[in-house]
Amino acid sequence: MTRVLEVSNVHKYFGGVRAVQGVSLTVEEGHVVGLIGPNGSGKSTLLNVMAGVSKPTAGSVMLDGRRIDNMPAHRVVELGIAKTHQIPKPFLGMTTRDNVGVAVLYGSRKDRDLGRAFDEANWVLRLVGLEPHAETLAANLTVQDRKRLELARVIATGCRILLLDEVFAGLSPDELREAMGLFTRLQKEIGFGALVVEHVMRAVLTLSDRVIVIDEGRKIAEGPPQAVVRQPAVIEAYLGREAARAAT
Amino acid sequence: MRLPSIRSFGPTVWGIGLFLILLAGSAPRIPVFLLTLIIGLLIWATLAYSLNLITGLTGYVSFGHVVFMALGGYALAYGVGTLNLPPVAGVALGAVVGAALALGIGLLTLRFRGVYFAIATLVIAIAALYIVLEVKELGDGQGLYLNVGFQPLAMFYTIWVILAVEIGLTYIITHGRIGYGLRSIKSDEDAANTLGINAPRLKLFVYTLSGLFAGAAGGVYAWNVSGAFPYQAFDLGFSLQMLAMIVIGGMGTLLGPLIGTVAVYLPSQIFLTIPVLSGLQAIVIGVVVVVIALFVPGGIVGTLQKYIPEFRGILE
Repeated sequence: MTRVLEVSNVHKYFGGVRAVQGVSLTVEEGHVVGLIGPNGSGKSTLLNVMAGVSKPTAGSVMLDGRRIDNMPAHRVVELGIAKTHQIPKPFLGMTTRDNVGVAVLYGSRKDRDLGRAFDEANWVLRLVGLEPHAETLAANLTVQDRKRLELARVIATGCRILLLDEVFAGLSPDELREAMGLFTRLQKEIGFGALVVEHVMRAVLTLSDRVIVIDEGRKIAEGPPQAVVRQPAVIEAYLGREAARAAT
Repeated sequence: MRLPSIRSFGPTVWGIGLFLILLAGSAPRIPVFLLTLIIGLLIWATLAYSLNLITGLTGYVSFGHVVFMALGGYALAYGVGTLNLPPVAGVALGAVVGAALALGIGLLTLRFRGVYFAIATLVIAIAALYIVLEVKELGDGQGLYLNVGFQPLAMFYTIWVILAVEIGLTYIITHGRIGYGLRSIKSDEDAANTLGINAPRLKLFVYTLSGLFAGAAGGVYAWNVSGAFPYQAFDLGFSLQMLAMIVIGGMGTLLGPLIGTVAVYLPSQIFLTIPVLSGLQAIVIGVVVVVIALFVPGGIVGTLQKYIPEFRGILE
């Protein structure tokens, strides 16, 4: 069965700040949806609501027709949705392998057998290219490898829908090309669905099947990547000329 | 460093096991004054391992452990004095009371993080004394006296079994799936939650276990001093001494609490026998803890692991 994550009319207010004002969207297993918008447009807030990290002020989040917005984050992971952190949050005092092993032990698979869990962790480490650093303490990883580790951990949870918060930010052109290749490979091999929040236009436009644009907490456009970025309102108000050039 | 599998005991486990077995085997031949000292040492080791379960494994600093210890003591004194239970059953009652209290207090206080959790447990420790002072069944502010006589060997084997079980459980927990969950929580609780770890439940589990052992140790303590008396039992210095033991020995390690107990308890007993120095022990412990926290945060075991690579595979 293909899993579907459905966000309906979600609002999220922080006191007087209306970070998200009535956004609806769906993410399906096997599909990559890009979520773009200027700084402060509510992307990360929306992701947090979808991952159960914070509760929506109004609206609902459903997974396969089951309401999940009132569940704590760890329950949401058990059901199959995992989120990376915009600023990587590795367990610094643990090795890279242990970081990934924890995700296998506690993610949506809940495999209680340590031996099998670490075999699985090794497989994920090979997949994302972190195998040479398996025994390295996460505290000693470079920024790029910490981002890889974020990706490795959500994959290791066994979740079918991944929420990726700026995993391509801050990379050099070469690193970006490599990371995008890696993502495409992983997505093909595993077949997860992903909501990719990103500032790096090249990444979003290349990787996404569909792109959603939000601004000031509202959805202003949705559609195939190339079509969305050609909409004049999107180009002028939110993406700027540079991104428009990249799109054509 | 990858931890060894749960079935392959490392040298630390063998060492602790050998120490405990030698102790148990020679207990009947140990002179009474020395056995009394050893009973005190084992009671304090049990308390140190108890605090290690919550503070060492999750990083939540509890100043309130004296509550579990004191009410475990009251439970024994009430069970033996009023209900006519045998002392060992009184210790079991103390364990149950300690676990139940920790479950209740944990539900309330484990929502707080960092310094707020520490303050909440401190406030409960202070409040608990004034609640107990008002309870008629618990001596109406005077405490409960016991008249079971001095039974050093029975006390020794009781606390010995409790400590052995506690160290065994600590080993199993730290080497299993739960151990990975706890280390994640200690490192970054938010990240742990987003990987599917039910942090509130895991914390409550180790806190309840911690209360159980502190309650049992408090029971043996009351048995040893023949009663439970409010101002002595709720001495916040007890909480601080447990904390000093795990800070000095090495928080979250398997061997640290035992080393810390020996390092704090034995000197403090020597200090107590010298009248001029008896007031100084708290000052000395305080200074040592501050120095260790500032300069060698890993404690004795953590520091040995850090600077002597050969010890890494041996010390846990």
